Amino acid sequence: MTQRLKIMVCDDSALVRKKLKTVLEEQGYTDVREAENGEIAVDAVKADPPHVIFMDIVMPVKTGIEALKDIRAIAPDTKVIMASSVGTQSNLLEAIKLGAFDFVQKPFAAEEIVRVLAKVTKEEDHA
Amino acid sequence: MFTQYFGHFLLNRGIVTAHQLQSAMDQLQSTHVKLGILSVNAGYMTAEQALEVHQAQARVDKRFGEIALELGYLDEEQLQNLLSAQKESHLLLGQALIDQEALTLNTFTAALNEYKQENYLSDEQFAAIKNGDIDVLLATMLKFEDIPNIDLHRQYISLLAKNLIRFIDPNIYFEVNAIPRDYQCEWLVSQQMTGQVPLASGFSLGEMAFLQIASAYAEEQLTELDAIARDAVGEFLNLHNGLFLVNMSGQGLELELQPQVIEEQVPLPPTVGSYLLTVYMSGSSFDLILSEIS
Repeated sequence: MTQRLKIMVCDDSALVRKKLKTVLEEQGYTDVREAENGEIAVDAVKADPPHVIFMDIVMPVKTGIEALKDIRAIAPDTKVIMASSVGTQSNLLEAIKLGAFDFVQKPFAAEEIVRVLAKVTKEEDHA
Repeated sequence: MFTQYFGHFLLNRGIVTAHQLQSAMDQLQSTHVKLGILSVNAGYMTAEQALEVHQAQARVDKRFGEIALELGYLDEEQLQNLLSAQKESHLLLGQALIDQEALTLNTFTAALNEYKQENYLSDEQFAAIKNGDIDVLLATMLKFEDIPNIDLHRQYISLLAKNLIRFIDPNIYFEVNAIPRDYQCEWLVSQQMTGQVPLASGFSLGEMAFLQIASAYAEEQLTELDAIARDAVGEFLNLHNGLFLVNMSGQGLELELQPQVIEEQVPLPPTVGSYLLTVYMSGSSFDLILSEIS
């Protein structure tokens, strides 16, 4: 079934982007964009805000936390889901305070991605 | 991991040839450990008693366990323990070598004892090692020169062994080496951890090891050192370091991960410590760099 959400995957790792994109496409999400770092993500959000962004935390140029701050100001309706590696959990509290919608643990488990997107869909339907 | 160490021991002692060892290693997946080996290894029976049961099996159509019970060499509980231990891999190696007549059960048992004595292992340590305790194995096998915070290094290396076995290759073997003069990294994948005890970590690899790690971690056969392959090795190092940070945090040491850096044809970083840990995998090897940043 084709899903209507526009999703962005922001991660400096091509491998992570590829793997997450595959999981999303398997779930029927056809509009999946990619960004290599926080700066590229912020620019893309300005042009056409997606419904959801999976945001890595540790990235060069602009970190996920910095990008989150900018995106909350530019597109408050976009749900930013932080993708945390083991060892970066201490940043999650800060991200949640800054308005991150949820977080998922890397390496990604498909069930976890499905769970968090179901939560987004539920909120969108009630919005 | 003990299988690799014990295999090297057999080879270094001239008990088996490289060809026999390799062929036995190749067979491991399909080898089924016989209860005779298990019972002798567990100390429940002597090699002579196991041989007697094997000879009896040639006369009556009964299983090893049944005959051993009848002869009073094993009790029910021991038999159950043995049945549950049938997947122990160093025993699989022993079985494979015995099957190809590279050694006998007696030689195998004697070699295990020699290994224990040569490495000054207590009964407890040896039992733990045989049961797959990587922490004890590496603590007794890896000899370091004087290094500050040696416990930190040991914990890092022990965790690396577990992560390599889990994600990359179950057949690994570690060796501590001095740093050769004019050492050059073909590829260096590194990551710093900042905080109370800043650390620099990295893998120095050739193309073959790079692609082996990348393919295993990305779960696809990679043949080129492209962006995906580089990311895969970087992500593996990041995952390992992340888990290390969680362990350290549990011990009150707070560290933070920095982004990974991938470089080609570079000398070792000036922060490097006094040793390299060479990691041998199936078909390739790489060096681990771990040092404190002053």
